[in-house]
Amino acid sequence: MDVRQALTAQSSVQRIFTAGGNSGLIGYAWAIGATLTSTLVGFAMRGRFDLVNIAMVYLLAVVLVALHHARGPAILTSVLCITAFDVLFVPPAGTFTVDDLQYVFTFAIMLTVGLVISHLVAGVRRQAREQAALEVAAETERIRSALLASISHDLRTPLAVMAGASSTLAEAADKLSSSERQALAQSIFEQSRDMAERVTKVLQMTRLETGEIRIDRDWTSIAEVASSALDRTSERLASHRVIVELPNDLPLVRVDAALVEQALANLLENAAKHTPAGTVVRLCARQRAHELVVSVVDHSGGPSEVDVERIFQKFAHGPIETTAGGVGLGLAICRAIVRLHGGDAWAECVPSGGMAFRFSLPIERAPPAAAEVPGADDALTPDHPDR
Amino acid sequence: MHSRPTILIVEDEPEIRRFLRLSLGAEGYRVVESSTGRRGAIDAGTHKPDVAIVDLGLPDIDGVQVVRQIRDWSPMPIIILSARSQERTKIEAFAAGADDYVTKPFGMGELLARISVALRHAVRSGTADNVLRLANATVDLDKRTASRDGQPIHLTPLEFRLLAALARHVDKVVMHRQLLAEVWGPTHEGDTHYLRIYMKQLRDKLEANPVRPKHLITETGVGYRLVAGDSPRE
Repeated sequence: MDVRQALTAQSSVQRIFTAGGNSGLIGYAWAIGATLTSTLVGFAMRGRFDLVNIAMVYLLAVVLVALHHARGPAILTSVLCITAFDVLFVPPAGTFTVDDLQYVFTFAIMLTVGLVISHLVAGVRRQAREQAALEVAAETERIRSALLASISHDLRTPLAVMAGASSTLAEAADKLSSSERQALAQSIFEQSRDMAERVTKVLQMTRLETGEIRIDRDWTSIAEVASSALDRTSERLASHRVIVELPNDLPLVRVDAALVEQALANLLENAAKHTPAGTVVRLCARQRAHELVVSVVDHSGGPSEVDVERIFQKFAHGPIETTAGGVGLGLAICRAIVRLHGGDAWAECVPSGGMAFRFSLPIERAPPAAAEVPGADDALTPDHPDR
Repeated sequence: MHSRPTILIVEDEPEIRRFLRLSLGAEGYRVVESSTGRRGAIDAGTHKPDVAIVDLGLPDIDGVQVVRQIRDWSPMPIIILSARSQERTKIEAFAAGADDYVTKPFGMGELLARISVALRHAVRSGTADNVLRLANATVDLDKRTASRDGQPIHLTPLEFRLLAALARHVDKVVMHRQLLAEVWGPTHEGDTHYLRIYMKQLRDKLEANPVRPKHLITETGVGYRLVAGDSPRE
């Protein structure tokens, strides 16, 4: 998902060339419009300028249409411009006869310019498309190899610990004290849980990238999502001071609660992993225009500008950076999830010294107000608590 | 009445059955094992366990079907064990009548906690005590009175209804659709936003810290769970 979006954001030059290819009827509308405009300009110039200059205005129209649209509109513009120029300007005006051979030459030039330019542009467009396809292929390949590297690194380390610790227990348990046995067993448990989490992340990222994950939107309270995400990460955040700041009047959002919980949990986990124990982690949310912005802000003392850029890169490209225990994956998953919802995720430095990892979710129209209780008068419902 | 509670394990992986047998045995439970879904449904009938633990991915029939078959005749607590963590699977299992859901891999501590909740619930369901005792608040569902820190507080009729619906299935996950149908009526089964709004109101009134609730628990994407008493789960 990440990859595809990165690739569609091509350079603006490429976009000009790729955009026009399938413009269809719009190109022909432009052909007519350009001819009309040139004709108006031509009328304004008549008398004061030579006919050759009026021909230049028509030529400009042909060039512009050929540049931005397909070959068909370019030819149409040439024909229309030639006809208009001939009928309206070339003497005898009002007829489609040519009494001077030099205007035949002008027509030929105009048509040739239109054809040559539209041919060139079509070539560039095709190249741009091929280039984009190549880039997608290369990016997919890069992600695949990064994913493999990530899997082998992230799984081998805990597997090594588990194999070592469990074989020690199986072969030499009687030479160990009970507290040593306990410690080995505990480390097997922790490593296996860690590994399960990483496998889940890899699978989820793959599912997100292949579009296999379907989002199941429903009205969701971000406070509930925050509370579940905090529950899920409470063990990892045990040595941090977590401050939750949620305004009381946050609007509901229509999202897949389970996925957004995952996105937020990944941000919290990231903060737990990359900031020293004892520091503050703030979870806050606020409404900004038509979106809800959820932030996890740490107070780690603040990295340098270079670091911000690097983290952001990691954020954008996900699986390349795997050394920090799959952190790139967690943030990439967060971003992929919120983008599926039409939002975005980003990181920034905060003035107080630290990093803010934020994501936004679009706020749709407000849900209809909750209905009154059906049959509210069915007795048993005193208005005062003390009967 | 058994002196030792019996636990039925319906699971096809012998390694998982083995460690469950060992650790549940060490905790003093009597363990019955079935390696297929059909066998499990039969064993549930012959052994009448106090709790059934059912794996979803069984070789013959799906675990959800096992749950349905047991539910046809018994209200025994059923805990689902599954490698699938998607909400859709959870909803399906809860809809079939499962009481709880543990995702593989899991720590034994977690499973034991769920088992004791299930046993506690099974014992309690007989007694018709309609007073909810939460950490800071007490709600009498029959008299429709509520108090917090000894002071009476006001709950709206709708809030009482919602709380009563959750209390009918205390300690169990109640799905969004079910809550909406019970409280607002079957035509409102899709109006999840009602739940979000009224759960917030209830938490504001009853929870010590509404942002980190201890009693009115969200089961993301599935429903809500009321955890009553002074010893909340986990």
